[in-house]
Amino acid sequence: MDKGKKPEKGKRSSKSNTLIFVVIGIFLVLFLSPMLWMVLTGFKHRGEFFTYPPAFIPKHFDWSNFLGGIKLGGGKAIFDILIIASSSALISLVVGSLAAYSLSRFKIGGKNLAFWILSIRMLPPIAAALPLFILYSSLHLLDTYGALIITYSLMNIPFAVWMLKGFFDELPPSLEESALVDGCGRLAAFYKIALPLIAPGLVATTLFNFIFSWNEFLFALVFTRSHVTPLTVFIAGLIGGHEILWGEIAAVGTMASLPIIVLAIFLQRYLVRGLTMGAVKG
Amino acid sequence: MGSEKSRIRSLRIRRLTPLFFILPCILILLAVSIFPLLYSLWLSFNSWELAMGLPKRFIGLGNYIRLFQDVRFWLSMKNMGKVLLFGVGSQFLIGFTLALLLNREFRSRTLVATLFLLPTMIAPVVIGCTWRQIYHYSYGPLNYFLQATRLSGGINWLADIKLALPSIIISDTWEWTPFMMVVLLAGLQSIPVDLQEVAAIDGASRWQIFWHITLPFLKPIIIVVILIRAMDAFKLFDLVVLLTRGGPGSSSETVAYYNYLSAFKHFSMGYAAAMSYIQLVVIIIIANFFLRFLRE
Repeated sequence: MDKGKKPEKGKRSSKSNTLIFVVIGIFLVLFLSPMLWMVLTGFKHRGEFFTYPPAFIPKHFDWSNFLGGIKLGGGKAIFDILIIASSSALISLVVGSLAAYSLSRFKIGGKNLAFWILSIRMLPPIAAALPLFILYSSLHLLDTYGALIITYSLMNIPFAVWMLKGFFDELPPSLEESALVDGCGRLAAFYKIALPLIAPGLVATTLFNFIFSWNEFLFALVFTRSHVTPLTVFIAGLIGGHEILWGEIAAVGTMASLPIIVLAIFLQRYLVRGLTMGAVKG
Repeated sequence: MGSEKSRIRSLRIRRLTPLFFILPCILILLAVSIFPLLYSLWLSFNSWELAMGLPKRFIGLGNYIRLFQDVRFWLSMKNMGKVLLFGVGSQFLIGFTLALLLNREFRSRTLVATLFLLPTMIAPVVIGCTWRQIYHYSYGPLNYFLQATRLSGGINWLADIKLALPSIIISDTWEWTPFMMVVLLAGLQSIPVDLQEVAAIDGASRWQIFWHITLPFLKPIIIVVILIRAMDAFKLFDLVVLLTRGGPGSSSETVAYYNYLSAFKHFSMGYAAAMSYIQLVVIIIIANFFLRFLRE
């Protein structure tokens, strides 16, 4: 009976499969088309922003918006955020991996300490921004790389701790234990044995932290003036004033998104884990 | 005897090792979060109007009383509730549907999921800029499509007092639905296949399998994603700045945006500190509520 039914079921499911793929395709187009619109706008000529019907595909692809965006300060903005995001990611990696190892291997502080660290990540940024603004202004740190590197580390360290704790938890402690028996110190066992074994986790965590800083806006807006202009602040600044520079905004937006898209594809396996801070292991 | 001493010393060091490992983390977090937070708690009991150049003055619960009478604050809380209900709600429903659709074997599934996820990964500021163009009344592609398909003569998405907040919610939904989808898909993938097969052999209908196996299995993940997004509702700032600046009037202000204004535009430091503390308390209540759910 089962044998007789099978081909019929297969036929029906292949038909419904096609339908499902069509639906998925439609949604994919829906989610990607605004980004495509941005990329295409970056290549448009000045006159093409204000036409009806809208120009969807530029007549000539020219790079003048990209050059214009860089000249307006986009190059400096990218440079600034590169320095800030990588410094913070690096600090968070060092501090976070040590703490994660301690939490995972020695269960230091039990669950409470781990949750306290997590709760800092949950803090609404505006609640932290106000007192930090006063602190930085009294330390003359406003409008410096330092202010943002410190602030982003505050958000990135808890993330690194939770992500890396998950990776250490999955690592059997026997390897380090045999090294300890051989006379190796804890620190050496940590960086010679445990760290290399979770290398993919370290890379994923660092890249995620890099992306968070790269995309952040509120702290960047509040803690910087004219010397330091992170990319998001620069882009938002192009909107103000009497004339909105659509072409340059789209071009710089494209430049800001490209590295993130590359990293996202690179991070494919860890995206779910990263976006839920290790709560869901994809 | 010397070796005995050094052995004791090395034992003591060994006992302290876990502490040494975690100390840098705790010190940094204490310095940059706990002290500033305690300071702003104290600030919330003071009147400190930086813009007027007046000195700090202790006023007890004055800021909190003012907050409870502030219509604009309650409007921003109400807006946040709408973001939670309509935004997070539709993100969950659409995301879950897409996750169920994608939950089958095909070759490039991971790549498709990653492509879906791009709106969640790129900067909200960039999203805000892009949607501002898309919503443009005369030259935006959205109104063009509505007119070309004769659905509407053109909608003033960002300047209409009734539509400004919904427009923000639409962009937010576009940004975060993929997140829901990808995380719920990961959850669906982790359900043991034999469990569903056994149920199917036992004659359970698809709906019964979904209701009695899939949903209970997914419950913790559902709670986690909704909790994450509920927390994010308090942080909704970037899209507001780029799309409407809280306008028209203050109709589309979120709590984060109003709090930003009171701190860094009106420079009412004490008042802003009180506002952020109220948020903190609400967040803790919400988080505990969800976590209790999770424990059950």
